[in-house]
Amino acid sequence: MFASIVSYGLAVGAVYALIGITYNVMFSASRVFSFTAGMLGMLGGVLGALFINKMGMNAVLALVAVLACGAVLGLVTEILTVRPVLKSIEQHLYVLSTLAFALMVQQVAAVEWGTEAQPFPVLIPIDPASLWGQIDQKFWLPVLACAVTIGGLEFLYRRTLIGRAFLAIAEDSYAARALGLPETRLRMASFALAGMIGALAGFTGAQMLLAYFGNQSILNFYGFVPVALGGMGSNRGALIGGLALGLFQQAANFLVGGIFAAVAVFVVFIIVLLLRPEGLAGAATARRV
Amino acid sequence: MTEAAAPIRTRGAAGTRWLGKLEGKISWILLGLAGLLLPLLDDSYIGTIATRAYIYWVLSAGLNLVVGYAGQIAIGWVSMLTLGAYTTAALAAGRVGPEWNSYLALLAGGAVGAVFGVVVGLPALRLRTFYFAMTTLGFATIVTQVALAWKDITGGGVGTPGPVFPWPFDPGWGFYYFCFILAALATWMTANIGSSRYGRALVAIRDAEVAAEASGIAKPKLLMLIFLLAGALGGVAGGLFSSLQSYITPDAFTFEMSVLFFIGILIGGRGSILGPLLGTIILTVLPEFAAPLVQWSTFLYAALLLVIVLVIPGGIADLLDYKNRRPLEQHREIVPRPELLPRVLDRPAAELLTLKNIALSFGGVRAIDGLDLEIRPGEVHGLIGPNGSGKTTTLNVISGYYAPQSGEVRLGGAVLPPSAAHLRANHRIARTFQTPRLIGGASVLDNVMIGGTIDGQGSFVESLVTLPRHRRDEAGLRAAAMLALQTVGLESLAAVRTDRLQHSELRFVEIARALMLRPACLLLDEPAAGLSTEEIRRLGALIKAISRAGTAVLLVEHHADLIFDICDHVTVLNLGKVLAAGTPAEIRSHREVVSAYLGA
Amino acid sequence: MPTSAPEPLLEVAGLSAGYGKIVVLRDVALTVGAGEAVALLGPNGAGKTTLLRAVSGLLPRTGQVKFAGRDMAGAGPGDTVRAGLVHVVEGHRVFTQLSVFDNLLLAGYGLPRPELTRQVEEALAFFPEIAAKRNDRAVTLSGGQQQMLAVAQGLVRRPKLLMLDEPSAGLSPVLVDRVLAAMVRLREAGTAILLVEQLIEKALAASDRVYALARGSIVLQARTDEADLPNRLEHAYFGQDVSAPLAS
Repeated sequence: MFASIVSYGLAVGAVYALIGITYNVMFSASRVFSFTAGMLGMLGGVLGALFINKMGMNAVLALVAVLACGAVLGLVTEILTVRPVLKSIEQHLYVLSTLAFALMVQQVAAVEWGTEAQPFPVLIPIDPASLWGQIDQKFWLPVLACAVTIGGLEFLYRRTLIGRAFLAIAEDSYAARALGLPETRLRMASFALAGMIGALAGFTGAQMLLAYFGNQSILNFYGFVPVALGGMGSNRGALIGGLALGLFQQAANFLVGGIFAAVAVFVVFIIVLLLRPEGLAGAATARRV
Repeated sequence: MTEAAAPIRTRGAAGTRWLGKLEGKISWILLGLAGLLLPLLDDSYIGTIATRAYIYWVLSAGLNLVVGYAGQIAIGWVSMLTLGAYTTAALAAGRVGPEWNSYLALLAGGAVGAVFGVVVGLPALRLRTFYFAMTTLGFATIVTQVALAWKDITGGGVGTPGPVFPWPFDPGWGFYYFCFILAALATWMTANIGSSRYGRALVAIRDAEVAAEASGIAKPKLLMLIFLLAGALGGVAGGLFSSLQSYITPDAFTFEMSVLFFIGILIGGRGSILGPLLGTIILTVLPEFAAPLVQWSTFLYAALLLVIVLVIPGGIADLLDYKNRRPLEQHREIVPRPELLPRVLDRPAAELLTLKNIALSFGGVRAIDGLDLEIRPGEVHGLIGPNGSGKTTTLNVISGYYAPQSGEVRLGGAVLPPSAAHLRANHRIARTFQTPRLIGGASVLDNVMIGGTIDGQGSFVESLVTLPRHRRDEAGLRAAAMLALQTVGLESLAAVRTDRLQHSELRFVEIARALMLRPACLLLDEPAAGLSTEEIRRLGALIKAISRAGTAVLLVEHHADLIFDICDHVTVLNLGKVLAAGTPAEIRSHREVVSAYLGA
Repeated sequence: MPTSAPEPLLEVAGLSAGYGKIVVLRDVALTVGAGEAVALLGPNGAGKTTLLRAVSGLLPRTGQVKFAGRDMAGAGPGDTVRAGLVHVVEGHRVFTQLSVFDNLLLAGYGLPRPELTRQVEEALAFFPEIAAKRNDRAVTLSGGQQQMLAVAQGLVRRPKLLMLDEPSAGLSPVLVDRVLAAMVRLREAGTAILLVEQLIEKALAASDRVYALARGSIVLQARTDEADLPNRLEHAYFGQDVSAPLAS
């Protein structure tokens, strides 16, 4: 049972962490919290199943296609729902525009794909008796994806100029603009990147979570908890928060059953937020007057 | 702000006034008649849809105050419907003790909704927009999950029957009228709140929170009242819903319903009652009349929301706002009438404001370094200094936004509590802001009336049902606000949407709002910025007249001419300390002051 | 010294700008010649920072801005920087989480790598003090060093005209002198400078010409070698005569 809690918990926690990172990447680029993170995760699974099962692609090709779709959706999100409202003074508007878009996409998925959860194909043909087959790939795939993403982002931020440009815009977008950094293009690139990360999370997690349109709401919330706990914009916080959440959730599942596990998560979430609204690692809010 | 408020008529016979009052209410009368006469169509299908629309509106009327007025993004409000429905159904069916009378069960549903409304609302006091939206979503999911699990009370996935109300509100047209009456009641009550000082205070918290505090509005208490009311209405709607459905299961309460309520309000437009009502009706009725739409209904709602956000943020209410489409006079002049001040500032003796040894640091920087200041009633005291000298910080300490690390602020003999900005209004300390903080979408008169919020005597409940004390409050506030506007010379713009005004007019509106407190002490933060020379002259005359009427005026300014023109006493700050203090003439020729400005 | 015959490097005419409804600048005109150092002085709230932002494209504006013979209508900060007009903003805002070297690389974002590295080294050569800290994160720099880094960022693109917004703000007098000395060296090397400052004497000492801005308009233009400048500036600032104050 312990092994089960750990493997399932880490795996689903890795998915949550990746969705949290998706939120963070979009936020760092624009100071906007977008409701599309859960949508990207959901589509990673749904589109992946579509490409592999219905269109007969192999796993690698399907992965590439899913990542491409994620990038495109990220771009559409930026152009359609974020850029127009950045200029507006009403700060609640961006929440609504991204919510509207995410809902529209979810409904298309529900109508075209169906409202039943469908099984996701096994991605890598591994003999269960072999060494590699000892741990079910549905558990280590998301963890691997998470590690690759974190590593990739570290490389991006530390070694490439564009990554450092992302960091610059996240820290001080006014100074970045004045310096001549192409703010809009960088923001678009960030959203495309976030799209790919979210899609990757959904694709690798789908063997566990299944291809299900309802994953959007689930991932929206559970992917947000790591961000709330770890502090907005902190990928490290999202990673720790996500893994912790996954383990806590699975432990609660086993101990008190599914329904009350959900209540437990929610209660912990609320308590943390009320005690430290900026998250356990976040920065204090700015002067108001 | 709401269509229910009658337009302002300062002249005209009693007959015109009657017609005027009716004009604002035409839409309500038409809607009411339509509702009353619908049964004549004798179509039970239409009746069911209409009943559903009324039930949804009972919930949305309350949610409208939370989302439309208070600006809280409470997306997961279907949780109230669920709670109310299951409470009423379980009690009426005898799942918790003996069978309850259906009406009492309905009331209980409302009570449970009220309690949880506050529970869900509490995080709103601490959390930012997106975080709060997420918690409401999470809560809605939890409620559904609990409904699935708690089989004894809710029947679990199998569900439970809803209550049947006895005659005269039995199923069919009787129940239709029951829901119609409750919907009308919900409309009336929320419209009353909307056009009361509570409604204005909510919008102030939403759009100009800092200014709301300065006007004495306490956010926590007000928000909790609204969440309580909205939760109660949601719970009652839930009870009615369980009766309409006659059998409820957890999957009847979908996320899509939350979306419907939320979008209906936003399509209708914030700060309006009629708009969200129409929005809710449209969204409820639409899928019924277009069969293929049912599957795509949520998609359409979301698409509509996107269009509204990007193209018409003001919603239906904005589209219906003909008044504010009439062009304004192009070359308007602001002509204050200081002679009206004695009537405006009619209050007991003024008091001395003193600061003693104030020190305040931000991080490592000493913003204020041992400041002593005395502002005498009947005088204009200028506070000047280079950038970063601590002028605005001083103002913010006096008005209670920052707590000094040492020293105290006294008014008369009483020490003013630090960090208590919303209590300053009680001490009759009023202020204006460096950038005007007004509610763009509200009328000029509404903005000014906010300044007098603390003068209202009536309670929330009295406003809910427009008892006499509420009416007296409103009439008094309205008259005082019109007087204040006449004093600053802007009464002709009273009914105009504030965001249509020029910058200089906004500054004078802020002064009118400040005058509503009949201030003992008036703090002005760079009121001349952006004004023309003539406007500055008139502003100066008005400020001087305010001080001569007995108010202690503190004027923070960059405009040297204004300072030297009207101040009786000037203090110069530099690097958080007093560099010089004296009459304008003394300051003007003070070498050190000139150097500080020119930067030696 | 530039005469009036050759076309000025920067020509601003009829410029108005503001924030939302607040009009801060009304019909401003000024010029900066190639290789000239021009000081822009004025009291707080006059609109000096707004003017720089309007010229560099950070704020929308009406009116004409011509730079190196080119009409800059509709140009954003990116276009302006690439044209050779660089704006070093107020408050020495550098990217604290990145190294000094990275801060400079970002200033030349978009340039081919070899060229970029060369120009970064040139910029660092001007400020040996921070060159020594090239791999340290900018957060470890003192205020004065961060200001030098901000100016160095401005140099990476080898600008024809460098606009500096109050480089002395928050710095001790010694550091101010150092920054202004670097500015003088730049000018000697051929870069034109538009310097916004509150410290009048030091600004006048380092410049060829001066404009005074008050309440959104230019109220004084002069060469810095003209007589009685500080007094004339004082008059211009306070907008009225020194003598008797009006009765209250």
